[in-house]
Amino acid sequence: MSNYFKNIKNAFKLKHYVNYIGVGAVLLLFTVLYYVGALNRATPNLLIQIGYSIILAVSLNLVVGLLGELSLGHAGFMCVGAYLGATVANALAGTLPLTLVLIISILAGGVSAAVFGFIVGLPALRLRGDYLAIVTLAFGEIVRNICKNLPFFGGAQGLQSEFYTEYLKAGKRALPLFIPTFIAVLFMLFVVQNLIRSKHGRAITAIRDNEIAAKAMGVNVTYYKLFVFVVSAFFAGVAGVIYTGTTSPIQYSFFSYNYSIEILVMVVLGGMGSIGGSIISAILITYINFALKSMLSGDMAAVKTLVYALILIVMVIYKNAPALKNVREKFNLQNLKEKIMSKVFKVKSSESDIRDDAGEWDEIPTKIITDEVLSTDFNLTTYTPDKPDKNQK
Amino acid sequence: MSTLIDGLSLGAIYALIALGYTMVYGIAKMLNFAHGDIIMVGAYAVFTTLMMGETVGAKILAIVVSVVVCTALGVLVEKCAYRPLRGASPLAVLITAIGVSYLLQGMSQLIFGAKSHPVDFTIHGSFMGINYSTIVTLVVATIIMIGLTLFVNLTKTGRAMVAVSEDRAAAQLMGVNVNFIIMLTFAIGSALAACASIFYLMQIPTVSPTLGSMPGIKAFTAAVIGGIGSIPGAMIGGVLLGVIEKLALSVPAIAPYTTAIEFSLLIIILLVKPTGLLGKKRREKV
Amino acid sequence: MKNVFKKVAAAVLAVTTMATAAFALTSCADKTFEKNSFKIGATGPLTGDAASYGNSVKNGAQLAVEEYNKKGGLQLSFAILDDQAGADEAAANYDVLYDAGMQISLGGVTSGSAEAFAKKANVDKVFCMTPSGSADKVIDNMDYSFRLCFGDPDQGTLAAENIVANSAYVKIGALYDTSDPYSDGIYQAFKAKMAELNVTYVEQKFDAENKVDFSTQAEALKDCDVVFMPFYYNEAQLFMKAAVAKGYDGAFFGCDGFDGIADYISDITNKIMYITPFDVNSEEENVKAFVAAYEAKYGEKPDQFAADAYDVVMVIAAALEKAGVKDYKLSAEEVSTAVKNAVISSDFSYNGITGNGMTWTADGKCSKAPKIVEFN
Repeated sequence: MSNYFKNIKNAFKLKHYVNYIGVGAVLLLFTVLYYVGALNRATPNLLIQIGYSIILAVSLNLVVGLLGELSLGHAGFMCVGAYLGATVANALAGTLPLTLVLIISILAGGVSAAVFGFIVGLPALRLRGDYLAIVTLAFGEIVRNICKNLPFFGGAQGLQSEFYTEYLKAGKRALPLFIPTFIAVLFMLFVVQNLIRSKHGRAITAIRDNEIAAKAMGVNVTYYKLFVFVVSAFFAGVAGVIYTGTTSPIQYSFFSYNYSIEILVMVVLGGMGSIGGSIISAILITYINFALKSMLSGDMAAVKTLVYALILIVMVIYKNAPALKNVREKFNLQNLKEKIMSKVFKVKSSESDIRDDAGEWDEIPTKIITDEVLSTDFNLTTYTPDKPDKNQK
Repeated sequence: MSTLIDGLSLGAIYALIALGYTMVYGIAKMLNFAHGDIIMVGAYAVFTTLMMGETVGAKILAIVVSVVVCTALGVLVEKCAYRPLRGASPLAVLITAIGVSYLLQGMSQLIFGAKSHPVDFTIHGSFMGINYSTIVTLVVATIIMIGLTLFVNLTKTGRAMVAVSEDRAAAQLMGVNVNFIIMLTFAIGSALAACASIFYLMQIPTVSPTLGSMPGIKAFTAAVIGGIGSIPGAMIGGVLLGVIEKLALSVPAIAPYTTAIEFSLLIIILLVKPTGLLGKKRREKV
Repeated sequence: MKNVFKKVAAAVLAVTTMATAAFALTSCADKTFEKNSFKIGATGPLTGDAASYGNSVKNGAQLAVEEYNKKGGLQLSFAILDDQAGADEAAANYDVLYDAGMQISLGGVTSGSAEAFAKKANVDKVFCMTPSGSADKVIDNMDYSFRLCFGDPDQGTLAAENIVANSAYVKIGALYDTSDPYSDGIYQAFKAKMAELNVTYVEQKFDAENKVDFSTQAEALKDCDVVFMPFYYNEAQLFMKAAVAKGYDGAFFGCDGFDGIADYISDITNKIMYITPFDVNSEEENVKAFVAAYEAKYGEKPDQFAADAYDVVMVIAAALEKAGVKDYKLSAEEVSTAVKNAVISSDFSYNGITGNGMTWTADGKCSKAPKIVEFN
């Protein structure tokens, strides 16, 4: 029995909980500040923005980092979630308490986005690499185009968000939106981190590293690819619903290709597959956007585009260029962290000896041989090995 | 009928852009996302040259300047952004290409501003109801297509390109300078982008920093429809897409959904026949 | 175990530092306004596709504030934050401005932003008078929301009446942008009015993804005598060129979005007319003075957005004077309520550069006579 507890104790690693502690601390701190009355008005807005950016970045990281496929239509999933979630919220607002409306609409938005995730996941079974990226981009544009034109969604005038109106009317009586936002962030972290560390997560990383080998090992590629797209889209939809709580009308122009790229920048900056990295870079970039708002006017705003572009180019080249391999090993962040830890906190680096976090990877693996991006004759059924011939001696 | 002609002239532009895409994709095996933005730079080169004067001489000079600027830019981008990633995952290259596309847009916005500027490059007049611009675009696109096919199939450099496209490692073993061939591909692709920018300006007399992104993505769609890597395929795909776009736009009820229709077409073709109309089929190896 | 504590301590420390930094940053907006003045806030697109509108409003309002402050009476200060024409950013900007002490506002520049901004402002009872948010939703059911520009539906109705009244126009065409609320808003009213007048016309559409190549629409409309074009000058000039290339020789009828088109269409000889509250070439004294002052300060001619913003600031100043508010320390609600009551009182009217004898009703609408500018 004592052995059992010992095992549990050994299995408990703080680094698995750092993200929860960090996000939880932010939530706690600002909740206290809010109810004490020490919070100004602008901070909760920034917190909500940070919250849904984290959800978007981490969920995109599932597809880009964990599955190793590039999605350029993440804002499209957010758009689906926002429009459908807001439609549900509009139907319910006024009849139910606001918090309940929010929960129901978040679920509705998430599920509807997940359905679209499934649809977009289907091409992923046949296509990879560049082609899949283009399909996701096309999907994002199609969704935006349709949402914009449907009279049901308010047409060009945008969709009215009753939740926003009711929420404003309720004023101080309503639960401040940043609290449910951060609870959603915690929930997402719970799902995503457990997914990554489970056998499913390992199966997904196996597909990323070598799809054909994974298939040969009996991994159900079809199932896992769709699964990742569905989970990722679900959370993008949740982020979309949270977004509708901050504005009315909901404008299709927000969910543009540029926004998808902005989320991608967060993922690339934070490190592919690194959940903590995505969180930090989502905070950082949302923050920079906020800070730059009053500084850059007119055409100087292009500076922001330039910075994003440089982040993408420099980060990817630095992390992937074959020629820079030695440099990378020399300035490895992991080594640096251990050094700092051992110097400042005198923590022994024993637990980092084996990196059990299979989700993190710095270098994008060359799982596809460069000139064979297309897999036209791809078999969708799982691989079953031939039974050994009994008659043969 | 006139819708078909309009579609043809738009399609000719798409075809020219798609030729550049297909060249680069066929040989360097990468999706040059920044191709559309090189067109934008070419258009700004024309715009800047024409600020000095709008005589015929200035227009010819503008064409030369545009081709030179785009070619140099293409080679530079290849050298700085794509070459370090030779041998890395296509995904890494694609993200870098998106970065380059963003970089070019941001820079031109800083230099010229986000506002659009008028450019007068139209050839006025028409022949049997077809604008001269359209005729010139189609003729030039066809000449370029034939020229490229001949170049690839008949010259030594062209055959080296085919070799690099078939098997890079083997080509290198046979003494082909792979880096040079890929650089050359980018130079040709960017020169094609410059041509595309000139024909674009003939039909749409305005420049803005985001000029290239939409035509770029649509031309990619055209290249995929025709079968990426195939030179005649790009031509057919471009014209087809142009006609489809114009047909959709001419029906007011479905006109707002044009973009959705075009992109749905892309997805369907990728799913049903990923190699496009004229593409080659490849098997996946471990 | 100690190590664990140290790590937790480090994490909590990091979070607290970050949070404090966030807090410090969001509250540094205090420098936004001058201390001893009435604080006027606004939100508008200073970057992005619509940046020119926001920057014009900024310039026009700042010019008005400077001119008014020079008189030495009440002092005003003005701040505008960037929203990239996004309603979400506009709503967030409201709170930043409110934190900074905004007492009264110009609302948003674009309709969606103005609506999101006004919704928040009405909860706090902060007065908004938007210079250019022309959709009806910007002022609907909101006591503290006003506008200075024409409403979109008014323009559509007016255009329909004008076009039908002219007997030279037999075949009528209309083209609009299905993705733009401004264009859509005007067009829907135009459509309704045409149906009411029982006049048929040719309808064509375009959208944000297809707004450079107008050959299809030009083909469909080339036989018309007049084309109604409720959208902005940039697309308008492209359509005009495409139409002329197709041999169109009728007239172009636009709305206030045509403002600024003259620079682009030197080679077009067709008749062009558009509804506008502001004519930069007007011979009226006050307009001339405004144009001269604006050109001296910014080196370019003002557009209608600048003129509207200039007028809004002057209207607010006049209302403050009329209400007799003098204490800069009054709360936003007190100042705004006073201004609101002054603006809707029956004896308040304002002669501005975008119209004479402007008056407001409690529903937020401004009544002024539209002008139709013609050239060629």
